[in-house]
Amino acid sequence: MATSTQAPRQAVTPTSRRDQARRALPWLLGLVALLGALGLQSQLYSGQERTVTTIFMFVAMAEAWNLIGGFAGYASFGQVVFFGLGGYFTAVAMSQWHLTFWVSLVLSGIVGALFATVIGIPLLRLRGHYFAIATLGVAEGMREVVINLPGLTGGGAGITVPTVGRDATTPYLGNDGFYLLFLALAALSVLIAGLVSRSKFGYGLRAIHQDEDAAAAMGINTTRLKVLTFALSGFIVGLVGSSYAFQQVTIFPERLFDVDITVLMVIMVVIGGSGTVLGPLLGAVVLQFVSEFLRQHFINLHIFILGAIIIVAVLLLPQGAVNYLREARRTGEYSLLANVRRYRL
Amino acid sequence: MSAPILQTQDLGRRFGGLRAVADVSFAVPEGQVLGIIGPNGAGKSTLINLITGHVKPSGGRVLIDGRDMTGAPPWAVAQAGVARTFQIVKPFRGMSVRENVAIGILYRRHGVNVMSHALRAADEVLEEVGIADLGDRPPGELPVADARRLELAKALALRPRLLLLDEVMAGLRHSEIEPSLQLIRTLRERGITIIVVEHVMKAIVAVSDRILVLHQGQVLTSGAPREVLTDRRVIEAYLGQRYAQRRGETPDAPG
Repeated sequence: MATSTQAPRQAVTPTSRRDQARRALPWLLGLVALLGALGLQSQLYSGQERTVTTIFMFVAMAEAWNLIGGFAGYASFGQVVFFGLGGYFTAVAMSQWHLTFWVSLVLSGIVGALFATVIGIPLLRLRGHYFAIATLGVAEGMREVVINLPGLTGGGAGITVPTVGRDATTPYLGNDGFYLLFLALAALSVLIAGLVSRSKFGYGLRAIHQDEDAAAAMGINTTRLKVLTFALSGFIVGLVGSSYAFQQVTIFPERLFDVDITVLMVIMVVIGGSGTVLGPLLGAVVLQFVSEFLRQHFINLHIFILGAIIIVAVLLLPQGAVNYLREARRTGEYSLLANVRRYRL
Repeated sequence: MSAPILQTQDLGRRFGGLRAVADVSFAVPEGQVLGIIGPNGAGKSTLINLITGHVKPSGGRVLIDGRDMTGAPPWAVAQAGVARTFQIVKPFRGMSVRENVAIGILYRRHGVNVMSHALRAADEVLEEVGIADLGDRPPGELPVADARRLELAKALALRPRLLLLDEVMAGLRHSEIEPSLQLIRTLRERGITIIVVEHVMKAIVAVSDRILVLHQGQVLTSGAPREVLTDRRVIEAYLGQRYAQRRGETPDAPG
């Protein structure tokens, strides 16, 4: 026995060590990025700190959208519904039920996951555009529901989380606190995406994305996998919405169920590279950064310029930056024009 | 005697007014290779889809190992040990050939849970179908013959007891057909029950123990390959009445 295992082991060790190193690299980079983000905090003045906090928020939501839209291929255009539900649940829980923020946060995630499960079971039977439109409808509908329940939600006048005095169940976290909170959510979502990407679960989702009939023929319970993914995505967005509500103190239905938030998630993922871990992170950081830069330097034209940049990016890199770089490295073809040709013709 | 591995009872499917498959009843005992032939539009692919759950039957029953699996979802059928290939190959693009095969190893009944283990096991399956050297390639780059081998490897990754092959030899060159036949024989020796749907008549006769002929959605006849091929109704269905009449005048003409 000992002699028979020795020979192959010698042959295997160098490659498996290289494999281990390659597998460990993303985790190391992630850790470095996390430490970098923590170190960065002390270097920012408060306006910058708020901007970076918003970037973290969108990193978390883009990664969450990418689970269902990128990995599984079900483009949800109603993802903001989990944001709004999480936010309103937290506001109501803290102001009316006197729960602490931390309890409300976890419950908001669970509410997001449960709602995703309930709407996912019927809606995830729809494919392509039908799913997109149905989810959009759910989000728009939920906003109207919230507006029309003024007793609970304050209706169109909004609802305020108690942050001072005896009613405050959890002291307000302030700029520094929210920076750390949203950084933690961003890190959590990237971690989840990283774990999903290399796992059995993630490969099952990719198979569903490519061909659902073939995936089912390989023994994949497609319905269960899709609903689980939608729930996981709803969980993360619910956490983000909850944190946002606490940060904003007073929230309104128009903002919490704003379709723009969904659109931003989609654009960030598409530009960065859907179905990858790094893509949504990259897309969220770059788009928020560029958007903020333009807002400061071209007050009147910034939306116009941002739109133009997005259009050009999508035309040149329809598969997203990360996917483009991967393919280019594999084929040695870096030309953007060749890339356009490959995806447009 | 144990139940046949697959049995259908009056299985049927309507698409609007069209009866694609009607009242099809047959049984496949364990270890047999059953060939299914029939002209275009005879309902061969629909029949496969009814067995695997990709199309829900509008009547009749499907029994796998004597267990009623009528209308069960495709993943449940796959986990019950029934694997299939698709007539139009359905590789998972954006994954390597090796990863394509690993999917089945992950998700079959009692499948493995760790991707790296599944990838190693996938190499063995690729070896078996003769494309071990293509593991790293994207499936879109494969030529037809290799794409069909990948389709077969994906099915074998499920460790099936019953394998449904939907036209795995269509579009292959002459020289590529013999290795495929050899592979089917090898699988059969390993105890896998196989249903072969095929247009290439010579191929199906060479591997089948029994042949079932579908015509306009119904079972025209079934039996040993030789009997079936000399059956006048089969020749009519395939080659038209006039050919059958001419052949009838010289009954010893070679098939």
